[in-house]
Amino acid sequence: MECAVEGIIETPHVEALEILLQGLCGVPKERFKIHELCLKSATNLGSVSSDVRLLCDIEQPIPTWTVRHVGGAMRGAGAEQISVAVRTMVESKASKNVLRFFYALGYKLDHELLRTGFVFNFFKGAQIKVTVTSLHKMPKVHATEEAIPVTPGIQLVELTAPASADNYSEVVAAVSSFCEYLAPLLHLSKPGVSAGVVPTAAAAAASLMSDRGNKTL
Amino acid sequence: MTIKWLLHWQPNAGTTVNTQIHTEITQCVESINGVKGGRWKATFSYYRPIQRDQTMALPFECSRDLMGISLQEQPNKLYFVIRSQRIVLEADSMIQMIMDKLQSYRARGSVTFEGYQYQFGDFQLRVGKVIPNSQDNLRGIVLEVEYLPISSLDKSRQIMEEFLDVWQETVSKRSLPGHFMHIDPNFVEYGLSDHYTSQHTAIQYVVVMGQLLVAAKN
Repeated sequence: MECAVEGIIETPHVEALEILLQGLCGVPKERFKIHELCLKSATNLGSVSSDVRLLCDIEQPIPTWTVRHVGGAMRGAGAEQISVAVRTMVESKASKNVLRFFYALGYKLDHELLRTGFVFNFFKGAQIKVTVTSLHKMPKVHATEEAIPVTPGIQLVELTAPASADNYSEVVAAVSSFCEYLAPLLHLSKPGVSAGVVPTAAAAAASLMSDRGNKTL
Repeated sequence: MTIKWLLHWQPNAGTTVNTQIHTEITQCVESINGVKGGRWKATFSYYRPIQRDQTMALPFECSRDLMGISLQEQPNKLYFVIRSQRIVLEADSMIQMIMDKLQSYRARGSVTFEGYQYQFGDFQLRVGKVIPNSQDNLRGIVLEVEYLPISSLDKSRQIMEEFLDVWQETVSKRSLPGHFMHIDPNFVEYGLSDHYTSQHTAIQYVVVMGQLLVAAKN
């Protein structure tokens, strides 16, 4: 289970976001380059139609593979009142033939993306992960070298934190609280509920960049 | 560093495996001064695709022979094998939860291999009963022979064969109605190298299970 929110930011303000995150969490960022393959079950396979994501970390000297399943978000009156999605998320590392394995089970490639960017992993009331991603699509199957941006000039920001049935209220509070720090630069909301870019972003970014300039001097 | 061969008991025509044979095999291990260690266990499950609409056929691509194995030597891993396509997948045990959530395949049965292990110099022997989880009856007997100093399949072949010659001679003195059989899978077909891994072990369990299922049908 995890708590998740996401938002978008214009690329010129990403550096300011990075400075803000660095200041807030005090840990270095980690770069990533992930080839994500989204598979869907073939017609009539399974009691429900299902999809699964395979993530290949191509930043590593030997690429590593992870299988990820993201379930539906928690529903109900209580869930409606909170601004954070609480959903099931299960991951498992797997050997490099995992794509062939899922093809053999009857799954088909639906779409694939190249995700590049950086991530901050830190503890602030919960173990929070902030991922800033530039999404790329591929003109040909698996052609990661030829990938082109899906939304030039816009990057995706995802904030997730692992939770359990016992502690998700505390994790939701920690995530909501952290979102407020980022509010001048971007608005984070439940995945799939886009709130667009923040009008104050340019001014906030300029202020952050200027602060850094002053400190450098 | 290690290498394993998995053998299974092949009863003579017209006979079946029983607990008396298992007892005598255990006595054979003890007679060659094997030092008894702890218990060991492996679990095998076979899966079938779930058909959403019974009036429509399952997709051609989906696998009809998916098998899963958990091994004591890798308690946090799960191995899936699709024999028809020569695929062995190694994954964290969380993959089982993902498979459950996908609801595409359902475990239709499982079998436990369990028994005691014995140390014999550089060798470890594991004698195991094969028991279907839904029943109490003995379905088969297996013998895992592990040689600790070498992890190359090729380099260990001679010493493994020599050890098995001695072992088969010991067992034959008891005039039991059957013998141990070793099937050497073609690991290269599964994309595995000469360096032994737990994926090799998983394939051996699937091959042995296939033999036991054929024997049960006959």
